[in-house]
Amino acid sequence: MTRIIVVTSGKGGVGKTTCTANLGMALAQREQRVAVLDADFGLRNLDLLLGLENRIVYTALDVLAGDCRMEQALVKDKRQPNLALLAAAQNRSKESITPEQTASLVAQLTDSFDYILVDSPAGIEMGFRNAIAAANEAIIVTTPEISAVRDADRVIGLLEANDVKKMQLIVNRLKPAMVQVQQMMSVQDVQDILAIPLLGVVPDDERVIVSTNRGEPLVLETKLSLAGLAFANVARRLQGEKVPFLDLNAPHDDLFVRLRRFLKG
Amino acid sequence: MNSESPSPTSVSELPILDTNPDGQVRFKSQGGRLLLLLPPEPEGDTLPLPWSELWEQLKHRLNAGERFWQPRTTVHLLARNRLLDARQLQAIADVLSEADLALKRIYTSRRQTAVAAVTAGYSVDQHAPVTHLNQTASESGQALEDPLYVQSTIRAGVEIRHHGSVVILGDVNPGGSVVADGDILIWGRLRGLVHAGYGGNPDCRIMALRMDPTQLRIADKVARPPETPPEQYLPEIAYVGNDGIRIALAAEFPRLSSNA
Ligand SMILES: Nc1ncnc2c1ncn2[C@@H]1O[C@H](COP(=O)(O)OP(=O)(O)O)[C@@H](O)[C@H]1O
Ligand SMILES: [Mg+2]
Repeated sequence: MTRIIVVTSGKGGVGKTTCTANLGMALAQREQRVAVLDADFGLRNLDLLLGLENRIVYTALDVLAGDCRMEQALVKDKRQPNLALLAAAQNRSKESITPEQTASLVAQLTDSFDYILVDSPAGIEMGFRNAIAAANEAIIVTTPEISAVRDADRVIGLLEANDVKKMQLIVNRLKPAMVQVQQMMSVQDVQDILAIPLLGVVPDDERVIVSTNRGEPLVLETKLSLAGLAFANVARRLQGEKVPFLDLNAPHDDLFVRLRRFLKG
Repeated sequence: MNSESPSPTSVSELPILDTNPDGQVRFKSQGGRLLLLLPPEPEGDTLPLPWSELWEQLKHRLNAGERFWQPRTTVHLLARNRLLDARQLQAIADVLSEADLALKRIYTSRRQTAVAAVTAGYSVDQHAPVTHLNQTASESGQALEDPLYVQSTIRAGVEIRHHGSVVILGDVNPGGSVVADGDILIWGRLRGLVHAGYGGNPDCRIMALRMDPTQLRIADKVARPPETPPEQYLPEIAYVGNDGIRIALAAEFPRLSSNA
């Protein structure tokens, strides 16, 4: 059965689109047929992160208007033919599409794909409701900051009320050195509040920004960086594999910190 | 409206006194039935609670109380002056039936809602608009309602209000709040905002397994937690003492209060 997963957060700029692009690519590398759907109407940028911007001819709105067939609107990735993108219209507002229409788009994709990842806009208004309309699972992305966690908590409550019961958490942009000196929330602090299963922890890494600008998701690197590896591991966990969490502390560790962690258990 | 449209029957009395118009969906059991009370649409320019929010509250209350309802319990919906169309009525009926509850009767003061409900095959009571008795709801002479038992985490953005005591089996997260006219008991971590004795009763108390609130309020008193968090958390009770809100270990509270 096709897994329809919305990637959402409440707060903007925490890494939803980055996660969607990398996970989509990583799952495709693992022989899964993946469609990524940009539900951020008006502010689309999933195509940019995937480096597919210049190949878009039709958008989701053209499909809905009957101006093209779904196959024409899907942009196949040349590097990874298992991956296809359905773009949002850039010049239209979030209100130009309804949850029912989003659901009908997704329904047209379920026969041809194993995974449908829906990249959600920020906020909890119409655009968010569109993004979750067809989902049967959610990936909640947050950074270890109080405001992002607060918004994620709100979104989890809304997803529960809308019958998206399966939810997993990605903590993005973690800075282990700051956590060690207690200047940043730890993954445990975040989990204490959100209380949903952890799918992955991605370190803050400048290479993420470089890859964004190049339109090449990190998971395409031949020698994976720590952040790239974190995304690849998320894809494996999504598929049900048990993959231990990376020790992001390792490079900064000194004996004292290690000892303290050991004592804490 | 033509003469063929179904005509709802009229009653003069509601099954319960209408004292809860504070924007919350609630369930109440009465005479072996369950009453589902929708918040009334406010008068004047205030916008009514959007359907999506009403829906989310309904789902939350259902999830939080489900364990206590007998299967196939009959539900009477008190829609008051809330406009409900056929689709919304159907959505309510469906979600109730998922919880094994059966929607049977609908009370409304709106003709359109009544017509939609009759068309869908429910028994309907159309009553005159209720003029609210609520202004004095928490003044003298008003008995508190039965305690509200909520088995759920109160997440950010969720507020539970009740004209009685509230028991939460779960955490109250930062950004979540509980406002009660009686006591508040949290069998979990309290990290949000809670207000006990909202109607003005300073004898009300707040109890939590782990007291780490954003803010505590009892009657007209307000307290913030100390800047430095305690070494360890033990169950605690907040109450109003001579100089404002005080917090005591639950284990020592009976001794304190008998000395008082
Ligand atoms: N792990 C990370 N390390 C460093 N920068 C990141 C990381 N994740 C995301 N970013 C940067 O944060 C910005 C916002 O990311 P984006 O995925 O567009 O967020 P959203 O879709 O939630 O608004 C981008 O510039 C992106 O490169
Ligand atoms: Mg985005």
